[in-house]
Amino acid sequence: MGTEFEWPWQYSFPPFFTIQPIVKTKEQQLASWRNLICDYHQHHSKWEVDGAVFENGKISRRLSPAAQRVVLQDLCDQGQGIMEGERCFVLWKSVAQWGSLIHGWVSERGLTGTVLTLFEIHSGDDTEGQPFYGMDVWLLQHVITMLGKEGKAELMMGESEDFSDAGVKFY
Amino acid sequence: MGSLFSKKSTPKSRVTEQDQAVLKLKQTRDKLKQYQKKIQLNQDKERKLAKQCLDQGRKDKALRLLKKKKFQDGLLEKTDNQLDNLERMVSDIEFAQCEIKIMEGLKSGNEALKELNAIMSLDDVEKILGDTEDAVAYQQEIDAMLTGTSIVEFDEEELEGELDAMLAAEEESKMPDVPVSGIDLPEVPEHEVGEGEKREVKERPRELVAG
Repeated sequence: MGTEFEWPWQYSFPPFFTIQPIVKTKEQQLASWRNLICDYHQHHSKWEVDGAVFENGKISRRLSPAAQRVVLQDLCDQGQGIMEGERCFVLWKSVAQWGSLIHGWVSERGLTGTVLTLFEIHSGDDTEGQPFYGMDVWLLQHVITMLGKEGKAELMMGESEDFSDAGVKFY
Repeated sequence: MGSLFSKKSTPKSRVTEQDQAVLKLKQTRDKLKQYQKKIQLNQDKERKLAKQCLDQGRKDKALRLLKKKKFQDGLLEKTDNQLDNLERMVSDIEFAQCEIKIMEGLKSGNEALKELNAIMSLDDVEKILGDTEDAVAYQQEIDAMLTGTSIVEFDEEELEGELDAMLAAEEESKMPDVPVSGIDLPEVPEHEVGEGEKREVKERPRELVAG
């Protein structure tokens, strides 16, 4: 990436890596984790949770697996993350916001009413500069399915179940 | 907007068979593009390797690598052509879909026009115009009766003569008769006029005017 990611002060603060017992403190702590996770993943354009964010080698601290689960559960409860089986995706933009961005791009290019593959949306030549470029294909189909509930898109399944050859028609 | 669809059943699909065909074509296009990217990456790697070999003086290996690169260039060109074919087919299908929409539009416009024409047959129009003409003529008759003009013809010349006579009579009664005889003017006294007489003279003209 261009600029170096700026870690927040909490990241260098050892207690940050232990879930705090006092409710008020815990709330603030979890909020800081949510911000850190979103900022980090947005900066690196990573869609699935990257374990590197949970540890700081410089102070020899890291969140225990149990603590990570607490943090991620909180992330999802607040709508900034979404679980799919074992995988957790970071939503630095909400699903609705992604839907609106993608639909906006499709409308601008006059592509409504035509068929697109999911591949060309997340890895196509035309989408290279877009914020959704490189989006994980499961997350992409989820966003599209949500758009589908508003009648703005229709997911078209391909032959494989992992959505690698799925398509979409926008309205 | 979610309330448009019932929560139990899935909304009706608006994906046609042609859309499925287009999806398949685009999937193939994607695969070709991925293949091209792979070959290009490979080429970059081998170009670097060839350079290294040259630097190390291993000319024969470098030459082999270059031959491989040439072969891959050929592959890339072929895939480019395939891609062009695919893109052209996709755009043909999409254009045909547009044309179908245009035809449907024309068809429904045509049907709408036919229906409107059916509502108004030519006989109906003639009948309405005829009825209107009759009504207008009837109205004109009533007009004529109300304004008092009869259908009986009268002598215009006689009427004009009468009119002139009427006008002449009116004029006469309005204007006073112009007196033909001269007005009696007072005689000019020959002798000097006294005070009393002067007064008399002054009064007399006034009398005449008052008359």
